Amino acid sequence: MLIVALDAVTTAALLLIISSGLLIVFGVMKIINFAHAAFITVGAYAALVGARLGLPWVLLVPVAFAAGAACGALAEVTIVRRLYQRPLDAILATWGLGIVIGQIVTLIFGREVQFVQAPITGTIELLGVDYSAYRIAMIGAALVVALVFSALLNGTRLGLSTRAVIMNEMLAQGLGVDSARVRLVTFAIGSGLAALSGALITPLSSVDPNMGVPWLISAFMLVMVSGGSLLTLAVSSLVLGGLQVIVSTFVNPILGGLTIAICAAVVLRVRPEGFARA
Amino acid sequence: MPEARQLGQAAAPIGIPTRLWMAALALLIVGGILAAPLLLDTYIVNILIRAFFVAIAAVTVDIVWGYCGTLTFGQSAFFGIGVYALAIIFTEYGFGPWQALLAIATAIVAAAVVAALTGWLSFYPGSSPLYASIVSLVVPIVLVQLVYSGGTFTGSSSGLVGFESFDLELENWFRLAGLSLAAVAVVTLIIMRSDTGRLLKALRDNDERCTYLGVDTSRYRIVVLVLTAIVASLAGFGYAAFGGVAAPENASFTFGTRLIIMVALGGRGTVIGAIVGALSIEVSSAYLSGSLPYVWELIIGIALIAVILAFPDGLVGVIKQLTHGIQPFERGPITRLRPIETAAVKSTDSEIALELKEVGKHFGSLSVLDGVEFVAKRSELLSLVGPNGAGKTTLIRCLSDGRERSTGFVAIAGHAIDRQPPNRIVEFGLGRKFQAASIFEALTVAECLRVARTHRARPSLVSTSIDLELPPAAISVVERSGLLERLDEEARRLSHGLKQALELAMVLSLEPEVLLLDEPTAGLTRAERQAFADILTSLASRDRLCILLVEHDLDFVREISSRIIVLHQGRIALDGSVDAVANSALVREIYTGQQAGDDGKES
Repeated sequence: MLIVALDAVTTAALLLIISSGLLIVFGVMKIINFAHAAFITVGAYAALVGARLGLPWVLLVPVAFAAGAACGALAEVTIVRRLYQRPLDAILATWGLGIVIGQIVTLIFGREVQFVQAPITGTIELLGVDYSAYRIAMIGAALVVALVFSALLNGTRLGLSTRAVIMNEMLAQGLGVDSARVRLVTFAIGSGLAALSGALITPLSSVDPNMGVPWLISAFMLVMVSGGSLLTLAVSSLVLGGLQVIVSTFVNPILGGLTIAICAAVVLRVRPEGFARA
Repeated sequence: MPEARQLGQAAAPIGIPTRLWMAALALLIVGGILAAPLLLDTYIVNILIRAFFVAIAAVTVDIVWGYCGTLTFGQSAFFGIGVYALAIIFTEYGFGPWQALLAIATAIVAAAVVAALTGWLSFYPGSSPLYASIVSLVVPIVLVQLVYSGGTFTGSSSGLVGFESFDLELENWFRLAGLSLAAVAVVTLIIMRSDTGRLLKALRDNDERCTYLGVDTSRYRIVVLVLTAIVASLAGFGYAAFGGVAAPENASFTFGTRLIIMVALGGRGTVIGAIVGALSIEVSSAYLSGSLPYVWELIIGIALIAVILAFPDGLVGVIKQLTHGIQPFERGPITRLRPIETAAVKSTDSEIALELKEVGKHFGSLSVLDGVEFVAKRSELLSLVGPNGAGKTTLIRCLSDGRERSTGFVAIAGHAIDRQPPNRIVEFGLGRKFQAASIFEALTVAECLRVARTHRARPSLVSTSIDLELPPAAISVVERSGLLERLDEEARRLSHGLKQALELAMVLSLEPEVLLLDEPTAGLTRAERQAFADILTSLASRDRLCILLVEHDLDFVREISSRIIVLHQGRIALDGSVDAVANSALVREIYTGQQAGDDGKES
């Protein structure tokens, strides 16, 4: 029972890390970044390359973030920028971008599945059960991501501009906020967060060119259900992630994999604002 | 009607050659499909047969996305349902006539049920297109997972092979698939050019306006989804019957996006674009994906990005642009206006047109409206004034959408609106004109008006009518505003003033008893404004409409109103005759204090 609870919490932590980048992009730009999965992959391969070059693990995560942010900034300038008025087309174009990144990664690294050694190995004893230390560490990672994220949003000038753009873009522009720059930075940070999450999940899953895709749907659904705030995203991750673990454990793992998607679709049908203002 | 006859004669010389030309083209295509397998080698025939079935699925994507505006990743799921209906039944029960019938029936019914469920999830009053896309994404993913978990019954990840299937010659498979595709294309073309097709375009253009014209947009979208799902499922059925294989990829989300890419590259919103996109991608994949697998995917990804950014109308759009000067611009039928008899207002009808009790709207502790209460009779021209932020537009919204208000009671022409969506309230006799002209930019003026008549005249599935029947009030607006000469012009080319007039005529086509107008004269010239005033006063006096007008211009209000209500901070501050209200101290204070800020309000 305790193991299930730990699974639920650590799964929620992973989901939160993975979907936070999608959330900030959706919040500011009202578009869904279908290339998110590709940026997760970019982060994972950045970590892989870093590890092969012998970089210490502490450096791998920032390297992955930087790689993702750079790709994101490039994508924003060349593609996404032109599609803010056409959100459905933005989905398609970012999906195309996802294909391109995935194929480039395949051309460079091949299709094989690769592995990265976890920095923290073994198990730790927690309340009488042995549990994977790395998964426990993910709870801490999620908290750090969430804290840094809200500190950026609430404590910096850029965060203030970002919140202004989220609330009322026209007004923000009128008050001298450079919304194009806010969008560029937001998209870069969102992609960076995707890459960072990719680096963090590498020790738990294998690394292959399409590794991001299975996470994508869950991340979308969580962001849609959360209605745009980090707090509700954390709540949705915990509730739906927990549900997923419960269904996987007690019913069947395949159904478990569908839990988030189905539950979120039904929640949104019944309550279009999702968990927001709950 | 001498005028009408003259127009009819003008149309005739164009009509017959076009028809002959179309018939010749059809013959050519059918002949081509019948003869082609004798000329082509077996390899390409094999590929083309599969491509034809895939192209049928691509056409269904085009209908849902290109014509109706819902980006769908889910058509692959319906294709997959057809594939697996055949494979499972032939594997379990063997091949035979009754098994084949059972398989077809299963393919149709299963696709229809899944589509209806998906439609119910995706489309409801107020749902967003983004949400519908996400739901369409979930469907194939769920289906593929079910296939994976189905063990030997579904063949799991390795799929189903080795079942006995229809035994046809390769040439005949080609003819069957090719003619099916041609038939689907022709039927789609006919429907999309009919009045029903115009209505679907109107849904894509402006879903909200459709809802406020009394069209149950969710129902239309669900019906379209179910029908296209059945067609896609039958295409999958044919695909599996020919190939003798069922694989999870046939139902996958990846295949769903592939279908979208085909339509995007070929040209969305045109049947020929979907077919060209599907055939060219399928055929070139067959040749290139073997020799350069990853590079080929890379090219597709880059092509998709390039098309979305530079040529949103795809290959067909590019060709249309290049040949624009050569091809005669296609013209729709020339429209004739016909007045209809409107039911005279019966004396037994209640005099009360609009009734509000204790209407309130709250966001948490913030009250935007509080305890708004009044009654308006027929023939009353009631103006609602108040400073910015007083809650005027919110009040209009609470009257026209049952789910908007937090508390209170609203009745339109004696019908309590409860929590009904806007399209139901329109049926009670409400017409709402928005602040910014809300019309269908891509349709012609006549088509816009026809969509507004949907609730009275069911649109035809096969033809476009020439006669446009409108109530006298709408005709008088069309005539007085100068729209009459521009009936067959695209609405996007109209001036701001004409767009406003068109929207008013559309709303009047509903034959409403209560008319809500949100700042109809904003941005109009002085002459246009005067014409508007005349129209409104005659609507109230002659047609006995109850008009509720939100307006900033006090002079305008004073000139035409029979009564004025002042809304201030969400409450009714004053309610009385024009003289009493317009000269009150409160109104003078509000207006002289705030007048300067009014210009910046338009948004």
